[in-house]
Amino acid sequence: MLGFLFRRLGDIIPTFFGVTLLVFFLIRLIPGDPILMMAGERGVDAVRYAELKAQYGFDQPVIVQYFDYLIGVFQGDLGKSFVTKKPVIDEFLTLFPATVELATMGILFAVIFGIPFGVLAAIHRGKWIDHLTMSLSLTGYSMPIFWWALLLIMFFSTTLGWTPISGRISVMYFFEPVTGFMLIDSLLSGEKGAFASAFSHLILPTVALGTIPMAVIARMTRSSMLEVLGEEYIRVARAKGLAPMRVIMVHALRNALIPVITVIGLQVGVLLAGAILTETIFSWPGIGKWIIEAMNRRDYPTIQGGILMIAFLVMAVNLIVDLLYGIINPRIRYKR
Amino acid sequence: MALLEVKNLTVEFGSEDKPFRAVDSVSYSVDRGEVLGIVGESGSGKSVSSLAVMGLIDFPGRVTADALTFDGQDLITMPAKRRREITGKDIAMIFQDPMSALNPCFTVEAQIMEALKVHEGGNKKQRRERTLDLLNQVGIPDPKSRMTAYPHQLSGGMSQRIVIAMAIACNPRLLIADEPTTALDVTIQAQIIDLLLKLQEDSDMGLILITHDLALVSEAANRIQVMYAGQLFESGPADSIFAAPRHPYTQALLEALPERSEGHDRLRTIPGVVPGQYDRPQGCLLAPRCRYANDHCVKSRPEVTDFNGRDVRCFYPLNDQGQPTGLTADTTTGETV
Repeated sequence: MLGFLFRRLGDIIPTFFGVTLLVFFLIRLIPGDPILMMAGERGVDAVRYAELKAQYGFDQPVIVQYFDYLIGVFQGDLGKSFVTKKPVIDEFLTLFPATVELATMGILFAVIFGIPFGVLAAIHRGKWIDHLTMSLSLTGYSMPIFWWALLLIMFFSTTLGWTPISGRISVMYFFEPVTGFMLIDSLLSGEKGAFASAFSHLILPTVALGTIPMAVIARMTRSSMLEVLGEEYIRVARAKGLAPMRVIMVHALRNALIPVITVIGLQVGVLLAGAILTETIFSWPGIGKWIIEAMNRRDYPTIQGGILMIAFLVMAVNLIVDLLYGIINPRIRYKR
Repeated sequence: MALLEVKNLTVEFGSEDKPFRAVDSVSYSVDRGEVLGIVGESGSGKSVSSLAVMGLIDFPGRVTADALTFDGQDLITMPAKRRREITGKDIAMIFQDPMSALNPCFTVEAQIMEALKVHEGGNKKQRRERTLDLLNQVGIPDPKSRMTAYPHQLSGGMSQRIVIAMAIACNPRLLIADEPTTALDVTIQAQIIDLLLKLQEDSDMGLILITHDLALVSEAANRIQVMYAGQLFESGPADSIFAAPRHPYTQALLEALPERSEGHDRLRTIPGVVPGQYDRPQGCLLAPRCRYANDHCVKSRPEVTDFNGRDVRCFYPLNDQGQPTGLTADTTTGETV
């Protein structure tokens, strides 16, 4: 188990290098000069421009800049934002809980609805309930997030007025962040109605973000479940006289979940990408929105740092997923 | 009264108007302490008929029967919940492939204890003790350490012993063994059969032994039921069937035994295959493969009749010399191979 863990951690190192390389050079391919962006509409004179260029190290060859950056990263220094002049890591850590909160709710939503829908479709294979859930999930999978999010806002927030349009909590409430997670902080604050407000702000972004993973999980659960239901041990379980519900939920689902867990792990990456769109549309103050803004301002250190951290997160989640297999499936319990 | 009474059991698949009969009006009964052997080639409906007895035929399969009673209780009209109380407790089944019969995600102990929990209740400690007992009973060496093993850590023979332990956990009165040794090594096969017969004798169970191994049933079974393409072809006491088969199919099956091919260059076989859904003959289902078949056989289907105290589905049942009876000069057009 430990050996496996170290081997997997070893795999992360080259991936990590690859990400720094890609992110660093790709950003520099985007047209636009960060110094001119900082200067704004009035611009700067040539002398000041050269001065600033030297100050940020842009006068060096790109390779040198890259290694300077890399050395910083390995010392835990992601650089300072061009815009706010604050360390990228600090900004990231401030905004990160908002994204984690949204992403967690999104994946919870996807799992809580996706798996039961998949199971239902599988046990009613070929009947209307199967067709309904599968066509709904195909629709969900095919919808662009930004469009779906706008539809949700138009219907539930504007027309029906059931949910707030954007933000994390109503401006009526103010309290110091403790954990950074609004649901928890609102409870801790003890202010009446704060939790309800925070929760209602989460509903639409959660649905918008969780729809695609839900669709993928539902389809995966269905096909995996169908395969498992045809296995001999399911028949044996039924021959023991177990109730159909127990056969499905205990004997079949446990085996069917193995590929589904992989998919959930992979969806975390999709989810974080989706968070960028969702956060922008719902004005959700998370890292997605932060990275988009940084891109508009050519804030190189912020973009690099943000993407690097996200990549790191995705790798970590997939490592956790690999470790989870062993718990669910004894055949892949890692030895040595 | 017989323990299990099956009368005209029919299992159909496919559409209502053009159904495929996997099992066609099969009748048999098993008594306490009796071993019934059901033999036939692959595709004869042996397994499907026993699944129907277990109540494991799913939609779109349709099970009908004039009678399907266990210990006097009608299994067909019984509510599903009540039937599940019998399934796995009073009637248990052992399946063909032990390697796929165990759920890979659960330990041996958990899988055996599950059956006990559902049917007998009791506390965890009692169930664990009983499981240990069972593992001892089916001859698992070092049962304590096997309790926590997962199926992938067991050999085929070991798995089949676990499957048997699982089936006999609740002291069933009827055990259905569906080709319990097909997937095992020859050396293990005899051990497993011996184990099954010993368990059957010790507890006076009824045992249905489904197999295509005739040598096996000849030793083990009291009565034999020969099936072909979903139909009952011949049934009667084991020794008399072996001494004098009344149905040409039984005769051909016996001739195909390797030990009866002595003096021949090649092992004898029955040419052709069991008809499936789309190639059912109009007349007797065996007609295309039967060495005695004539026009009458090709055109109409025989019913099961009593011949010298044996149930036989043939127009011309064989006599003690193995020659068809009842043939008249004008009907003898079938060639003798």
